[in-house]
Amino acid sequence: MNIKEQVISLEDVNFSYGQQAVLHDINLSVFPGEFIGIIGPNGSGKTTLLKLISGILSPQNGQILLFHQDISRIPRKKLAKMISVVPQESYITYNYKVKEIVFMGRIPYINQWQGETISDYLISRNAMEKTDSLCHADKGIHQISGGEMQRVYIARALAQSPKILMLDEFASHLDLNYKYEIIKILKETLKEEVKCIISVFHDLNLASYCADRLILLSHGRIEKSGTPLEVINNQNIKKVYRSKAHIIQHPELAIPQVIM
Amino acid sequence: MKYSSKQSKNNLYGYPNWRTKAFFVLSFGFLSILIIGFIGLNFGTISIQPQKIFSILWHHKTDDSLGLIIWELRIPRLIMAMLTGMTLAGVGGAFQGILRNPLADPYILGVSAGAALGACSSIALQYVTGLYLMHILPVFALLGAFLSILLVYLFSRKKNHLPMTDLLLAGVAVNFFFSALITILLAVSSRELHSMVFWLMGDLSTANWQKISLIILPVFLGSFLLIFSSLELNAMALGEEEALHLGIQTEKLRLKIFLIGSVMIAIVVSFTGLIGFVGLVIPHIARLVVGPDHRIMLPVSALIGAAFLIFCDTMARTIIAPTEIPIGAITAIIGAPLFIHLLKRRSETNEY
Repeated sequence: MNIKEQVISLEDVNFSYGQQAVLHDINLSVFPGEFIGIIGPNGSGKTTLLKLISGILSPQNGQILLFHQDISRIPRKKLAKMISVVPQESYITYNYKVKEIVFMGRIPYINQWQGETISDYLISRNAMEKTDSLCHADKGIHQISGGEMQRVYIARALAQSPKILMLDEFASHLDLNYKYEIIKILKETLKEEVKCIISVFHDLNLASYCADRLILLSHGRIEKSGTPLEVINNQNIKKVYRSKAHIIQHPELAIPQVIM
Repeated sequence: MKYSSKQSKNNLYGYPNWRTKAFFVLSFGFLSILIIGFIGLNFGTISIQPQKIFSILWHHKTDDSLGLIIWELRIPRLIMAMLTGMTLAGVGGAFQGILRNPLADPYILGVSAGAALGACSSIALQYVTGLYLMHILPVFALLGAFLSILLVYLFSRKKNHLPMTDLLLAGVAVNFFFSALITILLAVSSRELHSMVFWLMGDLSTANWQKISLIILPVFLGSFLLIFSSLELNAMALGEEEALHLGIQTEKLRLKIFLIGSVMIAIVVSFTGLIGFVGLVIPHIARLVVGPDHRIMLPVSALIGAAFLIFCDTMARTIIAPTEIPIGAITAIIGAPLFIHLLKRRSETNEY
């Protein structure tokens, strides 16, 4: 693909917490329309990589470019209009209503002097509609279940109208029907304004189902990067997870599935 | 839940118009303050009849003793109580928001202990030197408060960061250290003990127009700046990282809120002494009434705080008149059971 189209590019990125090195020499390019899945065992650096790309952490070495701009030079507010992140889990301090939480996605766009506009409300409402959380709009965020909460977080991230959508294990509490539903919604946003989606997965089968390209991390290095078929095979899984697994093909799709 | 497809003025795609809500709630708040204030004016060592007060207020009479009691004693005291309540409850609400901690109060960073040490030192100094220092007591208190803010900032700053936990721990440490010094002062003093204790429990009896003129501007300016940060405070509820993702510079925001809040508290406390519980409990009551959205919650908290303190001050000066009870004791006596009730309710309904 054309270099000029790159949405995200990481060049020789190194990161360590104090003395402890977490990521080594990460090189990665993401192109428009891609759904990237980051997989790897616990402690392999998945979440750290997500935090680097979303600008929460900055690398000690190397460069991260978003739309050809160095991420460290993009002001926070502008960054917030480019990237939104669905957290794995987070505790919300006070009992805000669901619609108030979703509306917070509009904060980067609200001019403090002029206040919010009607379109901010419309976008929030649409995001709730898409994620089927409109029926919870007036409930307190502490009164809904874990799965409902995850849909609200996704709604909030969509309300932020991002170019890049990042998720950290978005489906861990979702029921099967909502997994299908949310994946469908995510893929639809890729056809609209969202340029690319990057998600961390624990569940290899879900990763293989969702992503166009998988990045397999091991001890802070990219072990393998490619289509699910290229990445999820007996050899790689055994090497990285140090465990045996049976890999079969999905009955309908040309994707691999891992069973115990 | 029904949503109209067309947005009306009060229902924007299912979102009620918060400005309309704010207008009604705030008008109601102002009205209650006026009524509570007016009732408060009736009571005191001398009770004055409402008609009489009306005529004194209307004609701005200051030529007789009743007029003087109203205009030079009770009204300044009323306004002082109002401003103090506003500040404590408003800053308390903002601190609870920025710290993501419902148990935070305006004194959490040690401002109170600093001010108290300053005030008690000046009282002690007055007895030791025999000079009359009461009129510059607020200056001592203010210096003490600023000293504690500075110490907390210096102890918790790390390179360019201001980590939340370190800030809180530094606040606790400074609080304990200054409190220990106050305890020593109290232990070695005898005649001056009463004034010190009274100051420590809050005292609005020295309110006058000059003091009001000194605090009114910082209080309103600070409140405006805090309320202006409401959206950012809302985002903090999602968590620090989430707020960063929404484009909020959380470190800067924290520094801003703490600085504005602490300076407001320092200025007010220097004149009134330490009045507890208002800054802790009132924001919770405001959240129960209007929800946690800081755009409405902060002004409502300030208004309820003002009304609550006017009420408590009226109690403080009338229950066993002419003897005064320190207002801090009244706020705690009413506030503590209320707070326990709220905590119980919180654990039962799992609310905020």
